[in-house]
Amino acid sequence: MNAIIVSAVFGVLMMFASFLVNNKNVYRYLAIIGLSVLLLANILETYAIWSIKFDSFLQLSFERFGLFFNSIAIAATLFYVLLSGKDIVRVGNYSAEYFVLIFFILCGVSLITSYNSLLMLFLGIEIISIPLYILTGSDKKNLKSNEAALKYFLMGAFSTGLMLMGIALSYGAVGNFGLEGRGVVAFGGSMRVSFLEVAGLLLLFISMSFKASAAPFHFWTPDVYEGAPSVFTSFMATIVKATVFIGMIKLLEARTGIFGPTWQIILPLMIVLTLAIGNITAVFQQSVKRMLAYSSIAQAGFMLFALWSANDMGREGILLYSVAYTLATVGIFAVLVKMKDYTFDGFNGLAAKQPLVAASVAVFVLSLAGIPLTAGFFAKYFMLASAIKSGAGVWLLVVAVVFAAVSVYYYFRLIQAMYFKEGEAEMFEQPTNSFKGMLAIFAVLLIVLGIAPSLLFNYLYF
Amino acid sequence: MSITEILFWFLSALALVGALMVVLSRNPVHSVLWLVATFFAISGHYILMNAQFLAIVNIIVYAGAIMVLFLFVIMLMNLNSEAEPRKSWMMQLAGVLAGGCFMMVLVSLVRQTAELGGKTALVKEGNIGLIKQLGMKLFSEYTVPFEISSVLFLSAMVGAVVIGKKD
Amino acid sequence: MSQLVFLVPLFPLIGFLITGLGRNYLSKTATGYIASGSILGAFIVSCLLFSQVYGSGSGQVFTLFHFIQTEGFSIPFAFQVDQLSSLFLLIITGIGFLIHVYSTSYMHEEDAHHFARFFAYMNLFVFSMLLLVLGANYVIMFIGWEGVGLCSYLLIGYWFKNGDYNYAAKKAFIMNRIGDLGFLLAVFWMLAKLGTATYGEVFSQVATLSTFDITAITMLLFVGAMGKSAQIPLYTWLPDAMAGPTPVSALIHAATMVTAGIYMIARSNVLYTLAPFSQGFVAMIGLATAIFAATIALRQNDIKKVLAYSTVSQLGYMFLGLGVGAYTGAVFHVMTHAFFKALLFLGAGSVIHALHHEQDIRKMGGLKKQLPITHITFLLGCIAIAGIPPFSGFFSKDEILMATYAHQPWMYFIAMGGALMTAFYMFRLYSLTFLGSYRGHTDAAHPIHESPLSMTFPLMVLAVLSVVGGFIGIPAVFAENAHWLEHFLAPVFQPSNELVQHTHLDHATEYLLMGISTVLVLIMILLAVKLFGKDDVDVKKDDTGIKKWMANKWYIDELYQAVIIQPLHIFSVLLKNLVEKNIIDGAVNGVGRLVHYGARQFRLIQSGQVGNYLLFMILSIVVFILIWFNDATILRALNNIF
Repeated sequence: MNAIIVSAVFGVLMMFASFLVNNKNVYRYLAIIGLSVLLLANILETYAIWSIKFDSFLQLSFERFGLFFNSIAIAATLFYVLLSGKDIVRVGNYSAEYFVLIFFILCGVSLITSYNSLLMLFLGIEIISIPLYILTGSDKKNLKSNEAALKYFLMGAFSTGLMLMGIALSYGAVGNFGLEGRGVVAFGGSMRVSFLEVAGLLLLFISMSFKASAAPFHFWTPDVYEGAPSVFTSFMATIVKATVFIGMIKLLEARTGIFGPTWQIILPLMIVLTLAIGNITAVFQQSVKRMLAYSSIAQAGFMLFALWSANDMGREGILLYSVAYTLATVGIFAVLVKMKDYTFDGFNGLAAKQPLVAASVAVFVLSLAGIPLTAGFFAKYFMLASAIKSGAGVWLLVVAVVFAAVSVYYYFRLIQAMYFKEGEAEMFEQPTNSFKGMLAIFAVLLIVLGIAPSLLFNYLYF
Repeated sequence: MSITEILFWFLSALALVGALMVVLSRNPVHSVLWLVATFFAISGHYILMNAQFLAIVNIIVYAGAIMVLFLFVIMLMNLNSEAEPRKSWMMQLAGVLAGGCFMMVLVSLVRQTAELGGKTALVKEGNIGLIKQLGMKLFSEYTVPFEISSVLFLSAMVGAVVIGKKD
Repeated sequence: MSQLVFLVPLFPLIGFLITGLGRNYLSKTATGYIASGSILGAFIVSCLLFSQVYGSGSGQVFTLFHFIQTEGFSIPFAFQVDQLSSLFLLIITGIGFLIHVYSTSYMHEEDAHHFARFFAYMNLFVFSMLLLVLGANYVIMFIGWEGVGLCSYLLIGYWFKNGDYNYAAKKAFIMNRIGDLGFLLAVFWMLAKLGTATYGEVFSQVATLSTFDITAITMLLFVGAMGKSAQIPLYTWLPDAMAGPTPVSALIHAATMVTAGIYMIARSNVLYTLAPFSQGFVAMIGLATAIFAATIALRQNDIKKVLAYSTVSQLGYMFLGLGVGAYTGAVFHVMTHAFFKALLFLGAGSVIHALHHEQDIRKMGGLKKQLPITHITFLLGCIAIAGIPPFSGFFSKDEILMATYAHQPWMYFIAMGGALMTAFYMFRLYSLTFLGSYRGHTDAAHPIHESPLSMTFPLMVLAVLSVVGGFIGIPAVFAENAHWLEHFLAPVFQPSNELVQHTHLDHATEYLLMGISTVLVLIMILLAVKLFGKDDVDVKKDDTGIKKWMANKWYIDELYQAVIIQPLHIFSVLLKNLVEKNIIDGAVNGVGRLVHYGARQFRLIQSGQVGNYLLFMILSIVVFILIWFNDATILRALNNIF
């Protein structure tokens, strides 16, 4: 429970800071300290050294898998603030409040990784969503940001409605909010799952797919990601999205087999649709930011494989995927924020002006494309291998690989622009040395994980 | 037919008609008023189920506070039927079809659910909705969710400040 | 035993990073000290390890981390320190250090950053080679294997402004890659059948495999060895590799990298013992290469080319030794060969340095006065390689030859012929270079003088080693139990020796063969000195007949050009014009157009209207629920289709 409480406490502390202190740098440093403490607290709980305990009447359960993901999410946020902190405080006038919201989101993250009842899941999802609506609209003078926030809010509210309906149906069938559900029971001579429970779970699953931007519930993604301030897009496309997948895995694991043969149709359908829409549409984007939005849909398609496989390898794979995808995307966005022109042409000739930055971006892009020797490769490998283990059809893997190949096209356009085209690649400001250093650390981490992915897992089950 | 049954059907009809009218009314103010009516109908249902506290809270919070706020907002923005954007008939038809399909599958879903057959709502009896029971539950079993929802409200408040305050 | 083993490759790696990254900042002196120092550090640690192995008499495996871990198999990043690898460690780091010291003088004319680039490559090479030798499984070995190939490419093409040198570098790389493919396939085969690539596990489980599997694995491994150790038919890169600076030739193409193939087969001796066909094949290829390269060396006029073909030939002897089961002999020969061939290359480098990059021996002669130290050491090296007792080459070559005789007498006689040719061409080289009178044109501005101490010192050390290095392996005919190396390496080759009982020659036969070979070698030496040591030796006349064929290396390069490269070229042009343009491009462009079309349709859906989005979502939910109602029917239909 450390992560939930400490993040909430730091959220409140940041609120106090916002009216006691009037210095943007202080907010940033305070956030960095807070995240470090949060990380430490979570690690202490992971290794059962120290933890705050309240009797939650089995509504929360803390397992190593979830706690480990907490650490990943918190560490990623810490890296994110270290890298883009200056851009966060610059979005609008409420610098401290942005950090408040980020802390609250982390509270929601730790709820989703540890929920044991649907009520907690709902609270977690909402605690994540509401701050995101606000962060999306935080660039108040920008019409696009406002539009994106409103769209996100409307559709998010709709999906919340679906989720509540799902929980209600499930409650009706089971009689409580428990994660386990009732499963197969006797109905007049035949053994089957209650229709109400399945319908409830289906709606719940759909509303979470919406949050994870899996097709065909992805429509909000490109518009919102493009409209939101880039720093916050980076946050919601990575850490938050990965969290939703963890939530889905927990849910489906607890109610395994409930969909029966339906699962064999719906999930492959969603995977193929997500991969197709994400990749194919990304090909024709001119704006790097919009391309990244579609690419995040495409990456979600790969993460869906973990739901399909539902085995230990899939669980490990999703952790690696979250790390690889988060590091790479946060890194690219951090550079993108500094660019004057968000189109591919805006990156022309970046390699000549900023060799280190361009090289790091190249590594990020290679990792997203899943090229060997980067973490992205092993992430994709784990996803596909775990699916094979669970008996996925070969055609599904072929589709995945083909779309991974398509993704190379649009990812490499960025490399092409940076390295092989002449241009000015103007930036708002020259990147500082610490910024470049952080970027390089991101890139090195990706490569290290690409060479020895077991470094990450060695800390999961030892 | 007993008086409770008559009341039940009346309230159900009122809630459904009210909800439909919320969507169908051209004038936003009318929509809000229909929504208030719906809330009252639902509160009536609560009372039928011996949940007086929920009924009162529903009226005070939803029908009272939130709806009044809605009305103020709508009046301040001077919304009326003319301000509403016209949608093409294609879109309207598609919407009706999609919504109709959705309703159909949900209805058929409930009808398929065998365990609901022959069961009736618990009326006039039961003490779950009583304030004492609610309090006991809320401060024992549901303390943690209850406290955590404060984070949710806090973030909504912060959001309201960030979005709403003048720069 | 200590964890020091990780320091061995770490030192050169650090050296590589410092010299490579700091190449624009470091002075030449600093670069030289860092690069040589890192190798010296590795050498000292190697000595410690060696003494520990020697003291305890057993090897050990150290695991650093899990490199690749999957369901089917796990490949640890582990190092194995045992008798064989610790011996190779000593050779690599010891000779590597001497050559580094030598290079600080030899390369002194280069610009500072090119100078540092050279040493960075050299350190990287030593690092890769150490990885190759230390790895406790075939995968780690393969990393080193590829690494040395890469460094070889970089170093051969060190003077990258010369097109021919680049061509030579590419040739070396491609030939090596052909071999590497074989190696890689062998490793895959192993992983597929045994689920492991770790030496200990492979060797203990290999007996469970079918003969076909073992033969296939060993043959594929040998393809790798052919590429790396320059055996027929993949040897042509090695002579061309002389394009690199001379210390590179000494380090890579004589003392270390080319012996990787020998090391690998000696390491896998159990596999080869279980696959008699492969072993026989190794012996045949080794023998053929030994003779073939020796005939070419007879008529070469470039000082380094002679040594290059000599290396190919000597490697052939080592493979012959492996093929007839004389594993100790082969490793012994690797060691002595490393001493005297490094010595000869460095000596040649010293001559080239003194003559300002003149490599043609027809333009040398009578250098013994100007270059006394080089001369003496070079002579000692020649005697050692020719195989005169009690120089080191005698003992090792003799051991291989004796094992060959015990295996197949006819092979012995052919191999003996090669040994005689070795003596002849080495002393032809020696005579033309150092005896007689100087045939080049003298330049008053640049008088010929002896090289500095940093170059002659390694020569002297290596000369001493070449002379006495053989005493660690005195055959049983001279003194019982004096073969120290055999006892030392016995644990490594024990499984093989248990499987096959080698017939031992009786001492009388052995004495007789040794005596005859020594006498014949002496005659060859005298003949060579008589023919080419004269003051007025005629070097201008063109070769005719078979000599011309030898001088032109039996036209093997031309043969490859005509038989392999030309048809491939024609085939590729055909592919490019027909298949590529019409079929592949057509398909690719077709897919591209399809994607384009799809993207336009998808973008239409992405209208920006929230209402539309919600509509699509609702429809999707309806579809999902409908699927759920009819899942059995849909699945049946799908199964019928697929």
